[in-house]
Amino acid sequence: MNQPLILAILILAPFVGFLINGFRYKKHSAMVSGSIATGMVFISFICSLLLVIDLIGLPDETRRISVSYFDWIVISNFKVDMGFVIDQISAIMILVVTGVGSLIHLFSIGYMAHDKGAAKYFSYLNLFLFSMLLLVLGSNLLVMFVGWELVGLCSYLLIGFWFTDAEKAAAGMKAFITNRIGDAFFLLGIFTLFLTFGTVNFHDINSMVPLTAEIAWLAPITLGTLFLFIGATGKSAQIPLYVWLPDAMAGPTPVSALIHAATMVTAGVYMIVRLNPLFLAAPNTLMIVAIIGALTAVFAATIGMLQWDIKKILAYSTISQLGYMFLACGVGAFGAAMFHLMTHAFFKALMFLGSGSVIHAMHEEQDIRKMGALKKYLPITHVTFFMGWLAIIGIPPFAGFFSKDEILWMSFHSPLGHVGLWAMGAFGALLTSFYMTRLMCLTFWGKSRVPKEVHPHESPWLMTVPLMVLGLLSVIGGWIGIPKVIGENLGELPNILEHWLEPAIKMPAMTAAEPSTEWMMMGISVGLALISAAVAYHFYVQDPEKPKKLAEIFKGPYKLIYNKYFVDEMYFAGIIHPFVKLSKNIWYYIDVNFIDKTTYVISDLVRGGGTFVRGIQNGNIQQYAMYIALGIVATLTFILVR
Amino acid sequence: MTPDAILFWILAVVTVVSAITVVLITNPIYSALALAMAMIGISALFVTLNAYFIAGVQLIVYAGAVMVLFVMVLMLFDLRHELQAFTRGKISGAVKIACVGMLAGLVVGAIYMSSSSLIHASAAETMSSVDATKQLGKLLFTQYLFGFEALGVLLLVVAVGCVALARSKGGTHEHH
Amino acid sequence: MSITEMITDVGLDHYLILSAILFVTGMAGVLLRKNAIVLLMSLELMLNAVNLTFVAFSHYGGKLEGQVMVFFVMTIAAAEASVGLALIVSIFKRFREVNIRFFEHLKG
Repeated sequence: MNQPLILAILILAPFVGFLINGFRYKKHSAMVSGSIATGMVFISFICSLLLVIDLIGLPDETRRISVSYFDWIVISNFKVDMGFVIDQISAIMILVVTGVGSLIHLFSIGYMAHDKGAAKYFSYLNLFLFSMLLLVLGSNLLVMFVGWELVGLCSYLLIGFWFTDAEKAAAGMKAFITNRIGDAFFLLGIFTLFLTFGTVNFHDINSMVPLTAEIAWLAPITLGTLFLFIGATGKSAQIPLYVWLPDAMAGPTPVSALIHAATMVTAGVYMIVRLNPLFLAAPNTLMIVAIIGALTAVFAATIGMLQWDIKKILAYSTISQLGYMFLACGVGAFGAAMFHLMTHAFFKALMFLGSGSVIHAMHEEQDIRKMGALKKYLPITHVTFFMGWLAIIGIPPFAGFFSKDEILWMSFHSPLGHVGLWAMGAFGALLTSFYMTRLMCLTFWGKSRVPKEVHPHESPWLMTVPLMVLGLLSVIGGWIGIPKVIGENLGELPNILEHWLEPAIKMPAMTAAEPSTEWMMMGISVGLALISAAVAYHFYVQDPEKPKKLAEIFKGPYKLIYNKYFVDEMYFAGIIHPFVKLSKNIWYYIDVNFIDKTTYVISDLVRGGGTFVRGIQNGNIQQYAMYIALGIVATLTFILVR
Repeated sequence: MTPDAILFWILAVVTVVSAITVVLITNPIYSALALAMAMIGISALFVTLNAYFIAGVQLIVYAGAVMVLFVMVLMLFDLRHELQAFTRGKISGAVKIACVGMLAGLVVGAIYMSSSSLIHASAAETMSSVDATKQLGKLLFTQYLFGFEALGVLLLVVAVGCVALARSKGGTHEHH
Repeated sequence: MSITEMITDVGLDHYLILSAILFVTGMAGVLLRKNAIVLLMSLELMLNAVNLTFVAFSHYGGKLEGQVMVFFVMTIAAAEASVGLALIVSIFKRFREVNIRFFEHLKG
């Protein structure tokens, strides 16, 4: 089949949807605009299926579809083309992006049914999908960067969608600005890599990587990858640039599901996996990546434990899970990172959509202290959320178990890993189980604290069908990555994902693993999850007074963690306020004092000059005659002297 | 020294002195008188240049009609005390005099510089007096006829205009 | 030319220089005098100087056109003098002054 054409349709269908809904932006009907938008994304999904099927048909060594549409930038020997490549890695990404994307679009039709700006919403959502596809399919760093920036823009547009509320608009701005800081470093990374390799094409860079890894900190590849990683911390909400993600919950819930769970925030991880040979040649960077990933995983989990807003809990959970993905990349387990990216997309999107369903049922209430025992009012939501819960805390055979376990195992076993990293990862898993169970208890189980006026009801089919599909995927999604130790005992089940990704991903050389060590690790992680869940259940369903008493006893740490470690306050006091003050001073001293005064001086000069010249005409005709005489004298002198 | 030269010098001195008197004397009547004297001097100079008709016209028109007109108008005003005869402001006055001096210097210099290319006529080339008037008349009525007739129209217009301008709505003396 | 020649040989330059002096004197009068009538009289002086120049050229050049020019200039000068004086009479009737220092109304 005509691959360039299908690829073009794949990328441009959402863009067409953006244009159509963009021109009808004043319309209210969510059904019409939503159908158009969902239809376009579904077309993209079908196209990606077709292309992936094509890809499967190709032999292992040449498994890539590469299309270059036109030469974009040509400056002497610097050539960048508008090229796209589908290989094993991007195949996973496009399926996830378009598949989960269509489900979320479908959900949005029901969620935004009563919103006046529905057409605008769907056009932004389509634009986002288009940008994400650009990012994922780009064959070089510049096309990826275009997509990178565009998703940042769409994130801003969608977070601040209800912009008439100042807080929500501020959240949008915060997201965009934090992203931009990351993007500046990303650009620096692109420059450094271009200086080193002379090209920005992924395939070329990956083949030009030297075989020996760099040891120095200021070496070009290390610097370049470090810059790229800082850009990734901005986009994927890691320390230090994660602060925008919790605030981003001000946007509509499907937006949070799509952008901040399944797709945009995974862009950083994808970028690192794409350039895996490059990162492997810079072990210092990988060390930083792993440490920051592990730190973020634990840090965000601690904050998530004490939040009362259902969406904020999920936001911190996302940050934490992204930390796991970066931890995986940092120890060289790029395949595990992709695996976790995929499963996380399923269960996190599921849980966000589920929370959207809950919020919708509770008439826009988001505080879980006002919920409880919702399982009898929202059965479908409860069941699907339950499946997502089991997935995230890592209970086999649900999806999250396989991917998270792979990461934890690799952080222990890989030559780039360390037992300390594993310990942090395990601790994070403990906390994850705790706060997710706490969420389940306070929302769906236990006694009802729902206020009298609110009558929760189940959501319409438009919203529950996507939940059910994602629930199913959360269950079976992990089965394509069954590790060998389990697989060989279950009748030689292959690790499909590992085989699929093998040609595209370079991994560090690993020693053979003892199966008993692996089983022990698995046992520890599942055990920790179960213990933590039981403790949470005890705290929040059986004995609600206990957590309150504990909070009283540990008042100091409680306050610190509850206030998110005062990170936002520190950023404001340390960075933002000084900057604002500096700008104000510069404005005053340079603009007002200097530049404005210069214009005043010039205008005064002109006026003074005019007044002076005006004085020549004083009504005295003999003066005028004198000027004439002077003119004659001057002219005659000039003529005679020549 | 030829009689022509002597005559020229005498007339030149008279005319220049009268001209200076016009400018410097404060009493306007004396100024008018001096101007009349200058005009007569100029008329005499015309005679030395063999332009007899023009000399006559100068006397009739200028010294006769125009000066009388000036004196008549002066008569209408009560100018016993001239409050301010000369221009106020010493700097502008100095500039004006300097200007004037420089102009004089320039013209004289120009004449000297080009004196070689100026025509020095011998007596033979100069016009004979008897023919001059006849030929002047011929020129006026053939070649410059249009100008001549236009002059007539101009004089008509001027006459009407002056009467219109100076019609007495308010008299020149105080009403009692 | 030596000084004696300059005095004894009266030629075109003498008349031209004389007329230049008269012209410049008239111009000084126009620039310096404040009485409107004396101003007009100085103007007449300037015109007369010009007439002298024309006639001198006519005589020494052998052409009669100079005198034709003088004819025209004289007529027009007379016409202009009469109009000017009529204006002065009107001004005096209105303002009872002919000193031009009172007429600086067209100030910028």
